[in-house]
Amino acid sequence: MNGLRDDGPPDVDLSRVWTSVAAQVWRRRPGWLERTATRLLRSPGLARALLTTPSLLLPWLIASIVVLAAGAAATLNSGQPMVALLAPAVAAAAIAYSYGPGIDPAWELSCSMAVSDRMVLLVRALAVFAVNAAFGLAASAVSAALGSPAHSATAAASGAAAAVTFGWLIPMTAVCGFALAVATLARSANAGAAAGVAAWLITVLSGRVASGHFAAAVTDTVLFLPYLAIGAVCAAVALFATRIPRGTYR
Amino acid sequence: MNVEIADLTRRFGRNQAVAGVDLQAGPGVFGLLGPNGAGKTTLLRMMATVIPPTAGRLRLLDRDPGAYGPRREIRRRLGYLPQNLGYYPGFTVVEFVEYFALLKEMPAARVPAAVAAAVERVDLGGRARAKLRTLSGGMLRRVGIAQAIVNEPELLLLDEPTAGLDPEQRVAFRALLRDLGQRATVVVSTHLVEDVGAACSEVALMDAGKIVFQGTPAELTARGTEQGTGDAPLERGYTAVLAAARS
Repeated sequence: MNGLRDDGPPDVDLSRVWTSVAAQVWRRRPGWLERTATRLLRSPGLARALLTTPSLLLPWLIASIVVLAAGAAATLNSGQPMVALLAPAVAAAAIAYSYGPGIDPAWELSCSMAVSDRMVLLVRALAVFAVNAAFGLAASAVSAALGSPAHSATAAASGAAAAVTFGWLIPMTAVCGFALAVATLARSANAGAAAGVAAWLITVLSGRVASGHFAAAVTDTVLFLPYLAIGAVCAAVALFATRIPRGTYR
Repeated sequence: MNVEIADLTRRFGRNQAVAGVDLQAGPGVFGLLGPNGAGKTTLLRMMATVIPPTAGRLRLLDRDPGAYGPRREIRRRLGYLPQNLGYYPGFTVVEFVEYFALLKEMPAARVPAAVAAAVERVDLGGRARAKLRTLSGGMLRRVGIAQAIVNEPELLLLDEPTAGLDPEQRVAFRALLRDLGQRATVVVSTHLVEDVGAACSEVALMDAGKIVFQGTPAELTARGTEQGTGDAPLERGYTAVLAAARS
C-alpha cells in the first residue's frame, strides 16, 4: 500500500510524477447532465449524488415509462383514466426508492459526509417527483391525443382522460409525501413504497365506493385540499425523521 | 486534542451499547480493542457523527458536532471506514473514491490528484478503472480505505480495516497507518490484537460498553505476564484485562 515507483534519479520523485499522470489518465469527464446539475445545485458532490439516485437510473426510468405506456393503452381501451390512477403509485415507489438504508449501498458512509444526507434526500426526491410528473403528463397527453374525436369509440374516455390530465398531480404529491415519510421513518424503501402504493389503492377504491366513479380519487376537487394537507404533513414528518438529533453533544 | 470524549453513553432502546466512556486522543494511531459487542462500532459511529450520543460530551477537532456548521466542518476533515461499507457495483474504483471526495466537499480541482494519490496509496493503481463488482473482498476493503484517506483527514476512523486483507496487505496497511498517524488522529477499531501491537501508539480495550484499559501496547502486554491466555504476549494481556474486568 505504498507507491512502488521509487526507482529513478534521486532528484526526481517518481511517485509524485506518476500520481500526476494517473490523475490525468483516470480523470472522469462529467457528462452534460452532471455539469448542468453541478451548475444548478452549485455542488459537484450533490450533483453526483443526484445522478446516482437508484430510481433515476435508466432501468428504473424505462420500467416507469413501460408502466405508464401500458396505462395509456389501457385508458384508450377501457375508457378509464388509468394513467391518472397509475402515475401517483409509480411516483410513490420511485420516491421511496430514491434514498436510504437498504437502497443506497453506502448509506452509512453518506451519513458522515459534509454534503448532508438530508440535502441529498431533498434533491433526489424533488428530481424524482419532477421526472415522474413529466412522464405522467406525457402519458396523459398521449392518451388524450389518441383518444381525440377521430377515435370516436373512445371519445368518452378521451374526455375523462383530458379532465384528469393535471388533476392527478395533487394526489401524486400527497402519495409521494406519504411514501417518503414512511420510508424515512421506517428506514426502509420497501416499507415506503408498499405504504404509498397501498394508500393510493385504498384511496382509489374508497373513492369508487363513495361516488361510484372509478376515477373519483383524481377528479373530485373536494379531495384536493386534504391531499395538499396530507402532502405537507408528510413532508414535515420526513424532515423530522431525517434530522440529526442534537443528542447531548456539548 | 482531536478527540475529547467524556462520560459518553449511547442506548438503543434498553440496550446500552456505550456506557460512560472517557477518551482523549491527539495525533497518532489509537487502537480500539474489544470482543464482539463491546461497543467499539457504536463509539466509532458517534465519532463519525453518524449517530448522536444519548448522553455525555463529545468534541471532535475542537468543534461541537451537535451544531450544523461545526459538524459540516468536522465532516470535511474526517475519514471514516464503516464496518459494513456498501459499494455501488457499477462504479469503478476511481469513480467510487471520487464520489466520496466530492461529498466531502473537496475543491473540485484538487479531486483528481487526491483520488489518484489515495488509490495509489492502497496499491490499487492497477485496478483503478475496474468495476467494483469485479474486485475481491480485500480489494474492496482497500477501496474503502482509499475513500477514507482521500481528503487527507485530520481524524481518521477505521472500523475493522484489515478484515479481508491478506497478510502481505495487512503489513503494508500497518505501515500506511503509521504514516497517517504522524499527522492525523487515527482511531482503529479491531479485534485483531496483532494489528494494534504493530501499528498503534496507544490502545483502549472495551468490554460491555466501557473502557476497561487504556495505555500503550507495551503496558497491555505487561498485564498478561502472569495470568493471561493466548499465543502472543499482547493476546495474553488482552485476555488478562478482560478476565479482570469481568470478575
